[in-house]
Amino acid sequence: MKIALLGNPGAGKSLIFNQLTGLGIELNRYPGSSVCLECGNVCYKKEKIEIIDLPGIYSLDGSSEEEILVRKFLEQGGADIIVAVLDATKLERNLYLLTQVTEFAPKIIVVVNKIDEAEHQGLVIDIDQISSSLGAPVVLTAASEGRDIDRILPLALGSARPAILQVPYDHHIEAAIKSLEKTLGTPRYKGLLALQGIGEDQVLLESAGAIAHEIELRHRMSVRQIIATNRHNLARKVAASTVRHSDRKKTYDLDRLLTRVFPGVPILIAILFLLLLSVFVTGSWMEEIIVESFTSSVITPFTALALPPLWDRIGFSMLIALQAGFGIAFPFIFTFYLGLSLLEDTGYMTRAAFLADRAMHRLGLHGEAIIPMVIGFGCTVPAVMSLRILKTRREQTIAAFLISMVPCSARTVVIAGIVAAFVGILWAFSIYLIIFVLIIFTAVILSRITPGEQFGMIVEMSALRRPQARQVLAKSWLRIKEFLFIAMPLLIVTSIGLGLLQYYRLTDAFQQMVSPITITLLGLPEYASTALLFGIFRKELAFETLAVLAGTADLGSVMTSAQLYSFAIVSVLFIPCTSTIAVLYRQLGARITALISLYTVFLGLLIGVVINILMK
Amino acid sequence: MQLSLREDYLEAIQHFSEKNAHPPRYEELAAALGKPEPMVRSDMEDLVSSGDVFLLPGEMISLTAQGQQTGVSVMKKHETLQCFLSEILGMDSSSASDEACTLEHTISDETIDRLGRLIVKQEEERRGGRGRHRWPDSLPRCRAGEADCHYPSISDCFEGENVIIHYIQGKACAKRLLDLGMVPGEKATIKRKLSNGALVVQVKGCDVALSPEIASAIGVERSL
Repeated sequence: MKIALLGNPGAGKSLIFNQLTGLGIELNRYPGSSVCLECGNVCYKKEKIEIIDLPGIYSLDGSSEEEILVRKFLEQGGADIIVAVLDATKLERNLYLLTQVTEFAPKIIVVVNKIDEAEHQGLVIDIDQISSSLGAPVVLTAASEGRDIDRILPLALGSARPAILQVPYDHHIEAAIKSLEKTLGTPRYKGLLALQGIGEDQVLLESAGAIAHEIELRHRMSVRQIIATNRHNLARKVAASTVRHSDRKKTYDLDRLLTRVFPGVPILIAILFLLLLSVFVTGSWMEEIIVESFTSSVITPFTALALPPLWDRIGFSMLIALQAGFGIAFPFIFTFYLGLSLLEDTGYMTRAAFLADRAMHRLGLHGEAIIPMVIGFGCTVPAVMSLRILKTRREQTIAAFLISMVPCSARTVVIAGIVAAFVGILWAFSIYLIIFVLIIFTAVILSRITPGEQFGMIVEMSALRRPQARQVLAKSWLRIKEFLFIAMPLLIVTSIGLGLLQYYRLTDAFQQMVSPITITLLGLPEYASTALLFGIFRKELAFETLAVLAGTADLGSVMTSAQLYSFAIVSVLFIPCTSTIAVLYRQLGARITALISLYTVFLGLLIGVVINILMK
Repeated sequence: MQLSLREDYLEAIQHFSEKNAHPPRYEELAAALGKPEPMVRSDMEDLVSSGDVFLLPGEMISLTAQGQQTGVSVMKKHETLQCFLSEILGMDSSSASDEACTLEHTISDETIDRLGRLIVKQEEERRGGRGRHRWPDSLPRCRAGEADCHYPSISDCFEGENVIIHYIQGKACAKRLLDLGMVPGEKATIKRKLSNGALVVQVKGCDVALSPEIASAIGVERSL
């Protein structure tokens, strides 16, 4: 038995899914964040039920990846029962999607969620009325309080049925649907899609296209517009008969502050700065504690064992990797994810997108691009994946370049671990400054030379709400879990590999080969080249490798401040990590990936040389 | 007077006036319709009183604006029908004309429109397949007639203003806007406007942030 959750972005699907399955699942509030289907199993009355969380969408006849995915899912009958989740505070707009879903005639139940917020806004929903106009069973829930979530499964399994809700279309559209049905045997929903130019059947598209053209000439309106209007009208009718407005309590609208240039922009800058600063400060502080206690409790006893040299090397590399992993994952990445999840759950990110629109225009992007950019401060991989929310390839290309340069947590570790620790915290910030200048410079150039057109921002503002500690923690935990379970083994393996390479002195050959660049041009110790090379696996490896190769964690004792500074900036800019390259290749193809890699290598070396000359 | 008879007269007068440089006299009209002249005379009195025709000096019968409108429309219907019957259905042209004479009085404007376009399309296809349907690249800028073109775009409005959405230009962004409820006739409130023209528009109880270039594609009517 398969049950799928379907609804608008921000309707609370993910949270309901989370509570139904008990699995930790991401709850993303910015539009269109998770295109992969999240599945979870639950046992109900000794029956195994698979629950699928479909991505949040606004419509079934759009052209975004998510919309196409859900449309195909419905067409193929991907689930036995559909649970349509509607936002009670935006019932009319949410019903619009439902009018489309019912055209596919799945067995359905309707969950009207966020009933607590609706009550707060003075909206009363007549459950009998809505249930009879939809012709489907309805349950009112408040997922953030967990209210009535337990009623969803019994209702879905017990009384799901095809809804009776049917949109009365304009008579020309109805005639067209009938004509397609008669001549080609096309079902109603397919005919409607074909009239809007969607589908794969060329014969159907051709005849539907001709009819659509006729209708457009008569109405002086596109078929899509007519169909959308008809659906909205029905949604309005249903909403009007089911929602009663009582006196709305006047609450202070925070948007009066947040979406104005002043004080909105200073608030935005302050929030982003605070996020980074707290990651930096808390991260360094926690890292110090973790690393120190790990050294004294594990590494020192281990070296005291005095194992044979090969085993000592392997064991030591493994422990160093563990130490680095926990020293980074928890302090830096977890702190960042905590802050990011907190921001997302308040609904602030959409305000940030709105305010950033102007600045982003200068970079050849638009407001929505701030979301991948901010995610990029955590990890570049999810940031590149979230590039999907940008509509044109031009914007995706520009943003991909910039994201690859944004200092992610791992690079923050390099900056904090090398520069902040041994040179000074202000110097560490100067690296950020240099990178931002380079990012803006890159963007300005790219926006001039990248072909393609710009597509503007259309973002629904999510409602501001108080984030809940449990959800924020769960979400951050999910994100960090990925790091721990996927990256940690990789970290350990590469660390052992590096240990072995060094043990058999293979790295020396490489070092000697590139030593003219390392020593003469960049003014770094010879072994720094190996550290930079290993930085390609994961950025923080550059730092750890440096420590391993230098033979001490106290880098200040073996390298000058200028060398440390220069090493940090080169390794931060130098080529994205392997996982980033892989995901870039998947999203944007080989050409752009190669261009980005070459550009960052060139930029890293160039800046390294410039700094070397300046600091001499 | 019977509707079809009136239309026949008006059509004949229009037809004659177009063919010859002057409006018909009684005897000419009677000859064209193949009717006795006294009958035409008495019928003309009816048409004068219904405001379809008026008499010029020299007993010439001229159409009023109203009469001409009907005359032209019926004539066009006749031509379209005749063309359809003879060229597409392959009837011989004289019986097609007779048939058209009967059909032209009852057929609706819409059917004639569609028939007309069908004929044009067939014609084009015959000439070399140019008649293939293509999706229009952009929506018509106006919903009803050229006179509507003077609506301001939503980016010209001010913060706090209430508007009614009139049209959406451009295809790429139009779909998402439609899905978010920005359909012609929908009320919207401008909740925030930044100096660069970026907007937060409230529509159907939801706030939607728009870039300036998107906003300029939405035509609106100001309301109170």
